[in-house]
Amino acid sequence: MHYEANEAVIGLEIHVQLSCRTKMFCQCPNQAGDEPNRNTCPICLWLPGNLPRFSEEALEKAVLAGLALNCEIQKESAFDQKVYYYPDLPKGFQLSQFHRPLARNGWLNITDTDGLTRKLRIHKIHMEEDVARLVHEQEGRTPISLVDFNRAGAPLVEIVTEPDMRTPHQAMEFLRCLRTQLRYANSSECSMEQGTMRVDANISIRPQGSEQLNTKVEVKNMNSIRHVGDAIAYEITRQANCLKAGEPIVLHTRLWDPDKRATTAMRGKFEGPCIPDPSVPRIVLDDAWLQEIRRSLPEMPDRKANRFVRQYGLTVEEAGIMSGERDLSEYFEAVVEEKVSPRLAAQWLAIQVLPLLKERNESLAESTVTPVRLGALLRLLEREEINANAAKEVLKTLPESSLSPEVIVADGGYRQVSATADLEAIVDRVLQENPSAVANFRRGAGKAMGFLMGQAMQASGGKAHPRALKEIFEEKLR
Amino acid sequence: MGVRLVKAAVFSYIDPSPSALNGEGPLFGKRATVQASIAVKGWPTEANSPALHGYLPLEDATVVERLKSAGAILVGNTQSSELGFGLFRDGAARALMEGHGDVALMTDTMGEARVAAASAGLFGFKPSYGRVSRFGLVGLVPSMDCCSILGKDPNDLAAVFHAIAGPDERDPSLADDPAPNLAPRSDRKAATPVVGFVAECLETLDRAEGTSFREALARLEQAGCEIREVAFADFDLFRAAHNLIGSVEASSSCGKFDGVRYGHRAAGAKNWNEMYLQSRGESFSLLLKAYLFQGAYFQFRDYPAFERACRIRARLVKESRSLFRRVDLLASPTRRAILDPGRAGTVDEVYDVFSLTLPANLTGQPALTLPGFLTDQNGDRGLQLVGPFFGDEQLLELGWQLSRPVEGAR
Repeated sequence: MHYEANEAVIGLEIHVQLSCRTKMFCQCPNQAGDEPNRNTCPICLWLPGNLPRFSEEALEKAVLAGLALNCEIQKESAFDQKVYYYPDLPKGFQLSQFHRPLARNGWLNITDTDGLTRKLRIHKIHMEEDVARLVHEQEGRTPISLVDFNRAGAPLVEIVTEPDMRTPHQAMEFLRCLRTQLRYANSSECSMEQGTMRVDANISIRPQGSEQLNTKVEVKNMNSIRHVGDAIAYEITRQANCLKAGEPIVLHTRLWDPDKRATTAMRGKFEGPCIPDPSVPRIVLDDAWLQEIRRSLPEMPDRKANRFVRQYGLTVEEAGIMSGERDLSEYFEAVVEEKVSPRLAAQWLAIQVLPLLKERNESLAESTVTPVRLGALLRLLEREEINANAAKEVLKTLPESSLSPEVIVADGGYRQVSATADLEAIVDRVLQENPSAVANFRRGAGKAMGFLMGQAMQASGGKAHPRALKEIFEEKLR
Repeated sequence: MGVRLVKAAVFSYIDPSPSALNGEGPLFGKRATVQASIAVKGWPTEANSPALHGYLPLEDATVVERLKSAGAILVGNTQSSELGFGLFRDGAARALMEGHGDVALMTDTMGEARVAAASAGLFGFKPSYGRVSRFGLVGLVPSMDCCSILGKDPNDLAAVFHAIAGPDERDPSLADDPAPNLAPRSDRKAATPVVGFVAECLETLDRAEGTSFREALARLEQAGCEIREVAFADFDLFRAAHNLIGSVEASSSCGKFDGVRYGHRAAGAKNWNEMYLQSRGESFSLLLKAYLFQGAYFQFRDYPAFERACRIRARLVKESRSLFRRVDLLASPTRRAILDPGRAGTVDEVYDVFSLTLPANLTGQPALTLPGFLTDQNGDRGLQLVGPFFGDEQLLELGWQLSRPVEGAR
């Protein structure tokens, strides 16, 4: 029997919490994590007589998000009331931009598994307020639900993509790219673990090469980008199995269960009406203001990566890593400013510094390993005053020390041993103490040299100049 | 307490020790009443609805705060219709008639304040939408609700308007206009004011109403006005558009009454959904439910009709404003003679009561009702004058001038 291959059609709806000091329609701090119901006021509790006061900061951050995602910012947009009744929504409607969103027609480029660039389109971005958080307590005689309004009214944007993705990998790459862009723009933290980025995936399948859009299923409740990929992969397989078994796909919402690594069906989705809100003024952006926001956008990662290749001679991969986070890219350039070879700086940052900070649970910004101190250390390495081993040792001591790398090197005896007489003495001793290794080397066993080098390096306390040491060995064993 | 029982038909709350905060303010010594749908800090603001039972506002409404700082003495909360809808209980006009106050604040969504004023032979003024803050109004139809002023003396209306109008950061839908400034009367040499009347509006009146309205126009002419008939082919659409849009907005506005944070909560519900349904079911009257159901119907089942109504509203606003290139004011009776607002039993009958006043709520224009022009055996029906959008000061000025000879004739 001829068996047709299926392909998946995937679209994402991404809620992102904007990094604003206040909520979207009141002056309450935008901090969901505080003591429950602490960050509330008559507006976000929606007491009678109170009117929403739209925050200009939320508008700025939302526009930055739109620009970072290559969208066309709409000169005019407006808020609607999305009507539904649920305990997390104290006024019976959510303020959201349904009819006239803030931004349309965006895109992001991702690198696919085949190494090619794919352009994935964004349909629209609209602003909306978050709802309260419900906590369901099952313990005790009667299960109860508690409502925490700290999150009610928090500023969000919802990013709706076109159904352009075909694989879980593309969806994950899109999310990584989106996260990088929004963090760069200082628009959102985009942490799925912290709940500042929430992703719903709409998935349908169709025969490969077909253009039709089949009934989709929505999957929710993933709390990491990896889970989004896993949930999509699971859902594609589930739908393919349904089709094989001759079962129809019905429109519904499923919840991802990270423990079972499976999705389960949830209640039918209720789509309430959206009517224009009469109280929040229509948003009209003037060109000068928009220009100002546009100018405040930093150099974005793809342009920066290109510049790093051009200006500093980094490889594409190194440039990708160094430009991947705004903090890192700025740190990298600050180290280069300290007259360190850019490639050395990039390699040390990626392979030594970042793992060290991760181990210590520190961020670049808060670390005492400042660009000046790292620069000083790498300069010692470049001038061959210390070797790489010693540099690694010194780096490990930097976070705990207030001394400069130069002083640590001098006081700690890390300075590289390059004097021929000193090295010859070490080599002579090692040759004398390891006659069998010498014999092996003479029989042509290349590994023996490595062993002897290791012994000598150890004897020097890790400080021997490796190239000089090797030259002396080669001469003595000739 | 005895005093309170006597006045219970008029007041829902009386301040036991009323006093003025500002001995030098422009309203010093004026006694003001506030409808129970406008927040006064610490006073029960229940708008005659179980949904707001026991609700004590944390802050004064902007209009109340401004009245206080202008030196007015706040007497108490006057009785309101349920959430301000219609005119089933009106304490505002009665409080003034019975001498408990000099001016009254009352919300006006389809003409409640003007009709109440007209019935009681008082002056009533609904400002332009966007001139007076809605902060602290319980509110029912956010795009039409407007805090209005009742008084015995047109000078009081102007003084109160002057005190309460103007930008307010707590109501961002307000225009950023400068504080209203009433030019001194003697400086103003107005040309002959042109008073228009809409032919299609006149057709809705019965013979007796038409006759007395024409008599009132004749008196305006004697007072120096030029009278001009204007056509407004879509006049009948005002009512339909107000009814449809008003009910949709009211349905959304009442979503907040869930019995969770304040107000009546039904006992014995098994889950939150049941609690919502029972609490709301027990809180709203049949009439208000009919209005809210109608709004929900258009929200959920016939959204296109709502969109059409919004387009019609935009057209009516445009046409109405363009009429004012030819006239300074539009005149009509304020209320129909035969209808008793307290007896309206259906949404349609409520709209019958306000058919002449609701156009100004739909377009946001200022409107004033003057006593003494349209009086017959059915009482005073009020002469309504609608001014151009944001022409509040001019309208109050003309109203003041026109009411002088009438007062003199009494």
